Amino acid sequence: MRSNSMFAYNLSLALKSFKQAPSLYFLVILTLSIGVGLLCANLALVNSMTSDPIPEKSGQLFHVSMNTWPNDQPQAEPFHILRYREAMKISSSDIPKNSAVFYASGVYARDSASTSLKRFDSSVRATTPGFFALTNAPFAYGSGFAKSSGMEVVIGNELNQKIFAGENSVGKVLELDGELLTIVGVLKPWHLRPLFYHATEGRAFNLTDDIYAPLETSIDLGWSIHARSSSTVSYQGVKFTRDRNVFYLQAWVELENSAQQQAFQYYLDNYSQSLKDAGEHPLAILNELRDVNAWLLEQNIVDQNVLAFTFASVLFLCVCVFNASSLLLSRFHSAKFEVGLRRAIGASNKDMLVQGITESALLGIVAGLLSLLLSWFFLKLSIKFLPDLENLAVLDPKLLMLGMALALVTAIASALYPLYRANRYTISAELK
Amino acid sequence: MLKMNNISRIYQNDTIQTHALRDFSLNVKAGEFVAVTGPSGSGKSTFLNVAGLLDHFDGGQYELDGVSVQGLKDDELSRLRNEKLGFIFQNYNLIPDYSIFDNVDMPLRYRGFSARERKRRVEEALEKVGLASRLKYLPSQLSGGQQQRVAIARALAGEPKILLADEPTGNLDSLMARQVMEILHDLNKDGATIIMVTHDPDQAREVSRNVQVIDGQLADFKIYAPLDRTAGNTGKSVSISAAVEEEMADA
Ligand SMILES: Nc1ncnc2c1ncn2[C@@H]1O[C@H](COP(=O)(O)OP(=O)(O)OP(=O)(O)O)[C@@H](O)[C@H]1O
Ligand SMILES: [Mg+2]
Repeated sequence: MRSNSMFAYNLSLALKSFKQAPSLYFLVILTLSIGVGLLCANLALVNSMTSDPIPEKSGQLFHVSMNTWPNDQPQAEPFHILRYREAMKISSSDIPKNSAVFYASGVYARDSASTSLKRFDSSVRATTPGFFALTNAPFAYGSGFAKSSGMEVVIGNELNQKIFAGENSVGKVLELDGELLTIVGVLKPWHLRPLFYHATEGRAFNLTDDIYAPLETSIDLGWSIHARSSSTVSYQGVKFTRDRNVFYLQAWVELENSAQQQAFQYYLDNYSQSLKDAGEHPLAILNELRDVNAWLLEQNIVDQNVLAFTFASVLFLCVCVFNASSLLLSRFHSAKFEVGLRRAIGASNKDMLVQGITESALLGIVAGLLSLLLSWFFLKLSIKFLPDLENLAVLDPKLLMLGMALALVTAIASALYPLYRANRYTISAELK
Repeated sequence: MLKMNNISRIYQNDTIQTHALRDFSLNVKAGEFVAVTGPSGSGKSTFLNVAGLLDHFDGGQYELDGVSVQGLKDDELSRLRNEKLGFIFQNYNLIPDYSIFDNVDMPLRYRGFSARERKRRVEEALEKVGLASRLKYLPSQLSGGQQQRVAIARALAGEPKILLADEPTGNLDSLMARQVMEILHDLNKDGATIIMVTHDPDQAREVSRNVQVIDGQLADFKIYAPLDRTAGNTGKSVSISAAVEEEMADA
């Protein structure tokens, strides 16, 4: 009862206090919210960079690296890209629940039935059909293709918006670089942060692809490789890669338990050994399975600049707290008389402390709301200057909570020293 | 009611020590109206602040309404201030942007009373000082005398055992001072114990007991003899030795 009415009283005192010195409190709120907002914006970037894109099974999806470079001067070991023959070896194993081997490509796409000749530059994932189940790709309409060859595609939400205004386009025919392929599935908006299935070559924060096409068909159509590839031989286009030493395919497998993992590791090692026996594996056998988070960690996808900037914004927030604190100090100094009077008529130090903390908590809530607005604004601004950040600059609910909590804590921290000072005055000093 | 024994209060500056109170002993009984006089700088306010628990003291014993105050914690002292003491200042010390009601209500807020009880007490206290009709006014809309009466109402609202007043009429003209004094006398008649610092010999003369502070100590004689108010202002002085004896007995 008492604490309840005391809380209401303290709230009303805080509001009175804001009314008495609105510009000072405005400055305090602005100072804190800029500091918190900036930090939150940075944390949003870090959060996107470090988050788990597929938490429901990130521990069961493994990237496959092998060491099958055919001479003893590899550019890296083991290799994250594989030859067609290793990719097929992986695809044909029935140990994994799902597997996907793919390469990145790109085509110009248009609706074959449209009178408009406008074509859209579209990214392509040329993949085996296991990709959809492995990545939990969310379908809005239709489904994935069932085989690695066939004139069929799945398209992403964005391309579907652009070409078909978001309608169900299953059954429609796309003209892709002059070839006609039928749409069998349309995905929902699909955000993978980071884009774990292609985290190399600085692509970890790219958007998901526009078009998913069967691997063999893509190779047959000669859709070129839009990512890193390495070879020991010259070749004329992707059509001729199947039986050559061209490394360009990435492979993922879904292994549900450690028994499957071991079995698959054994399967790979066995294969490598057979190559070695045939004199085709000059390097040491080194086949690595990395789960999603280990793989992302190994790719160092967290931008060092962003980390440095986050650190700087922590320091900046400290400066903001000092600033707010000195503003509040002057405020509490001018309220010395009232503090003295309240103490004289029976308020305890604790009462005054609770009153001050109520006031600063209220301050913190307002600063928190403003700081969320500001961090949203900072993110928009940073996208303007660095469009690459687009897919990263997201404020998820966790961050909104963190922003509010930070504002609250900093507001109270700012008030602590002034409060301590105010409560140490001799009560009678201001009262004559 | 109030018992001080060898109280000392030393102000320590960088270079100088001021003994504002030294070996200060005083005993005030329930229902007494004590006027404290003495030269400027002699320690009257210091005494009153110590008595009102607004200031600490450096030595001696102080017992307030049976409670020994040395060694009490802050919240216990605050509670004593809130429940047993009412303080009236020379400068009224009202909060300028609070209404009269809110000013008088302030000490009650720290008491945990219901809104209803607070309202009753505020109205009753303002009634006693004749300002029941000015609840919504701001202090600046009242005369000095009225403001001081609001301050008295604030001191009264908690129904304290002792009222402490430091030159309550110091800022008032004689007419307004008179009104304030009448209120204090009425309260005393109703049983309140009052200790008042004053520079006005006439005010001192009309109360039941006089003490004088000189150089931080209770002077061992009285200048003013208490008068019987009902008999008009023509009382006879008490012999110095009698006054001394009485003071010694109190201490
Ligand atoms: N905060 C302080 N710091 C240092 N010295 C002080 C302080 N307050 C009072 N004093 C000194 O203590 C002594 C007593 O002061 P006090 O205010 O009690 O006098 P007073 O009797 O109330 O005087 P007046 O009649 O002028 O109000 C004075 O010498 C004064 O200078
Ligand atoms: Mg004084």
